Amino acid sequence: MSHAHEHAHEHQDATPKALSATGKWGMVIDQDLCTGCQACVAACAMENNLSFIGEDDVAYGRSMQWIRIERYWQGEYPKVSMTDYQPMMCQQCGNAPCEPVCPVYASVHSASEDLNVQVYNRCIGTRYCANNCPYQVREFNWRDWPLPEPMSNRLNPDVTVRQRGVMEKCTFCIQRIHTGENTAAAANRDVLDGEVVPACAQACPANAITFGRIDDPTTQVAQLAQDSRGYHQLEEMNTLPRVTYLKGGSKHGSNG
Amino acid sequence: MAVTAKALPHAHAQEEHEDPREHLMLDPRPRGEMNAMAMEAMLSTNWKFWLVIVILAATVAYCLFYEWGVLIFEGQGVAGVTRPDYWGVFLVDVVFWIGISHAGTFISALLRVLKVEARRPFTRAAELMTTFGLVQAGISVFLHLGRVWLTYWMIPLPNQRGLWPDFHSPLMWDFMAITTYLLCSTMYLYMPLIPDLAMARDRSTGWRKLLYRVMALGFRGNEFQWKHLTTAMNIFAFAIIPVMFSVHTIVSWDFAMASRPGWSSTVFGPYFVIGALHSGIAAVLLVLFLIRSTMKHMDYFLRLEHFDFLGKLSLVISMIWAYFYFNDYIVPWYGGGTIEKTLLDFLARGPASPLWYAMLFCNIVVPWAILWNKNWRRKPWLLALVGIAVNIGMYLERYIIIPVTVTITRDPFTWRLYHPAIEIPITIGMFALFLLLYMLASRIIPLIPVWEVEEGQAAHSLRKLGKTEVVSLSELE
Amino acid sequence: MSENLTLLALFSDVEPASRGIETLHELGLEDKDINVLSGIPLKNTILGRPAAKTNVPRIGMLGALLGLGLGLFFIQGIPLIYPLYVGGQSLFPIPPTLIISFEMAMLGLMGFSFIGVFIESRFPSFEPENYVPEVSDGKIAVFFSCPPDLQNKATGLLSTAGAEVVKPVEAQQL
Repeated sequence: MSHAHEHAHEHQDATPKALSATGKWGMVIDQDLCTGCQACVAACAMENNLSFIGEDDVAYGRSMQWIRIERYWQGEYPKVSMTDYQPMMCQQCGNAPCEPVCPVYASVHSASEDLNVQVYNRCIGTRYCANNCPYQVREFNWRDWPLPEPMSNRLNPDVTVRQRGVMEKCTFCIQRIHTGENTAAAANRDVLDGEVVPACAQACPANAITFGRIDDPTTQVAQLAQDSRGYHQLEEMNTLPRVTYLKGGSKHGSNG
Repeated sequence: MAVTAKALPHAHAQEEHEDPREHLMLDPRPRGEMNAMAMEAMLSTNWKFWLVIVILAATVAYCLFYEWGVLIFEGQGVAGVTRPDYWGVFLVDVVFWIGISHAGTFISALLRVLKVEARRPFTRAAELMTTFGLVQAGISVFLHLGRVWLTYWMIPLPNQRGLWPDFHSPLMWDFMAITTYLLCSTMYLYMPLIPDLAMARDRSTGWRKLLYRVMALGFRGNEFQWKHLTTAMNIFAFAIIPVMFSVHTIVSWDFAMASRPGWSSTVFGPYFVIGALHSGIAAVLLVLFLIRSTMKHMDYFLRLEHFDFLGKLSLVISMIWAYFYFNDYIVPWYGGGTIEKTLLDFLARGPASPLWYAMLFCNIVVPWAILWNKNWRRKPWLLALVGIAVNIGMYLERYIIIPVTVTITRDPFTWRLYHPAIEIPITIGMFALFLLLYMLASRIIPLIPVWEVEEGQAAHSLRKLGKTEVVSLSELE
Repeated sequence: MSENLTLLALFSDVEPASRGIETLHELGLEDKDINVLSGIPLKNTILGRPAAKTNVPRIGMLGALLGLGLGLFFIQGIPLIYPLYVGGQSLFPIPPTLIISFEMAMLGLMGFSFIGVFIESRFPSFEPENYVPEVSDGKIAVFFSCPPDLQNKATGLLSTAGAEVVKPVEAQQL
């Protein structure tokens, strides 16, 4: 796997559309397996140094969750009917609506990894990207939430911490992708299927999240993505997301 | 089979009672006298004036500058923005103030190109609104940024890091358009001001004389200076009109380019432009009423005919606005998808629906109910009230387009109502700053373009046509 | 032979001013010896003066071209030196090109027209020049330089033509 730099030059002439139809790294979420336990949410927060927001702000909608579990229900207890649990994170769209609207190139498409990357130290906080995300998965640092010593010792050294006024979002654990690629390059081989595991996939007790090279038809994620239960969220928006959801067959939902 | 033509009883009776000298253009006074009036209006202040200045300055200091400091230090969390309402009152303010600023250009450029003589006495008063309105719009842009101290990264200059801004973004088009508009309208304010500054220079002493002497650039009124000046003014008048249209269109594209329900509408460009004119002309009505009531001699320059004209203009623009809004509403209402229809339902029946009805009332019902009547259009205080109502309505319109519409996303899990917090005192501070700047400017530069008034009066005359005298307008250029 | 004197004839209206200038022509003075100052812009034909030429439109057009170039650099040149893909859009998008080129061309047109006024009028000019404050009060001031032996004749004829004041003047500091 070549370095990001060289790749960028390689793809300078290639139209972005050639890369973006299916993507390189992809994810499959099996909604039949998801129990809504939120282990993925906790793991992501620990891996990516997410701040603790506090009750009042969260009550006003300012949660800091790069992956969140969405629940939809109707009826009153005990006659409540629910849909599948819906884990929602950045879909790393091929036609990302969040990218062209940033005035300072803080939200750009990585040519080498075919992911949408958020450049924290470039963001000036216009929040146009968050407005334009149809999945509403971008998180903004509304304040500084400093971690006092010794709690700051829990921070993951592979990931930066973000200042107030900066936008952030799920990166498909790009730090783990790079670690995996570096390891593979050092061993003079390609990345093995299952070698790169983002925090959410690692933590899920039901193995509902699968991750890997979706452009390689032999990987598990590529095969799962072809499942007949598979669909994309808000497909009509033509965002070309890299996350495929597998429809659940839950007794409680409208899927019957 | 003879066909007889009957004189309309209405028109005949009207002419018998109308004194031509009611019209400013037919009531010329010696230029020296008009100059003296303009100077006296500029120079006279009383304790009430200074009391208002002090109150406004204190409001600006606390509500704008102090609270803005809190906002920068604490972060956008002290404002009311959240997911999914990432843009709130500050963006409403941006659109509102740019809207106000369009009136100045409309009056001084479009009406000049169309040779509408009624514009003559209030072009500068309107252009001042443009300049100061754009100042507020600029402040509002800075207010909403998360890391405002890095705004300069949006400026396309070569730098050590080799980084450039992204012109794919409507915000960069905004930046270019608003910069162009601000610079050009300031130049367009300054150029016709030069001859009046020369007049003020000749009639002043002390610090004012030094100020006007420098600002008048040594203008003496010889043929060449007039030729260069009027040529440039004509170029500006023609060129700034498409810029004016493009600026608010580009501002509307901040929303139209987004894929939000309710924002992704193709009619936003012209809809916003007309909305800008609607709120702008209404603000001009209010400001002219205040000028006429509080400054000396302004009842000579600002006559009932001007209010009548602006009232008619406001009525027509209100109708055009209603046409565009109806367009924007009926298309999703008729064939829109689920989310668009949910949004329309939310506007009409949701928690923010009183605002929506208030907007329709202020923008349509109030102007249509009052401005059709010719007698009512000649009551400046009534037009000022209409101006206030329309501005409230247009502020509500932008409030509904931004934080209210943005509540409804395609992901119902994220729906949340917006509540402004620190935006309220800061917005009040910006209104105070606008008034403060305007009041100070009215005592530093002559508010009436006296040379343009004289130019118009020189071109108007009464000539006998049949049994009556009619107004005759000559083309002196 | 003594130097030409500079004389001022002050008129209160267009009619007497045009008669006065005609009188000066009959006396043998050339257009370049006559300088007319007024409180409002008057078309040259009204007073019988030669057309005033201006380069402001040409300077403006130059500015428009420069602005257009700058706009094209922003939207087409920047992606050449700093290529980053965003949102599946082309690196060289056409509709934004039209927008940015338009805005920058307009800025250039108007900005350079404004500068053109300064250049052409040699603004700011505070040097001593012929001027009377009555000009800003609406009077038309006709400055002319004539040989001293013509002074009395000129004064008489101009007064007959309707001048309020005819007197010799020196250039004043503003």
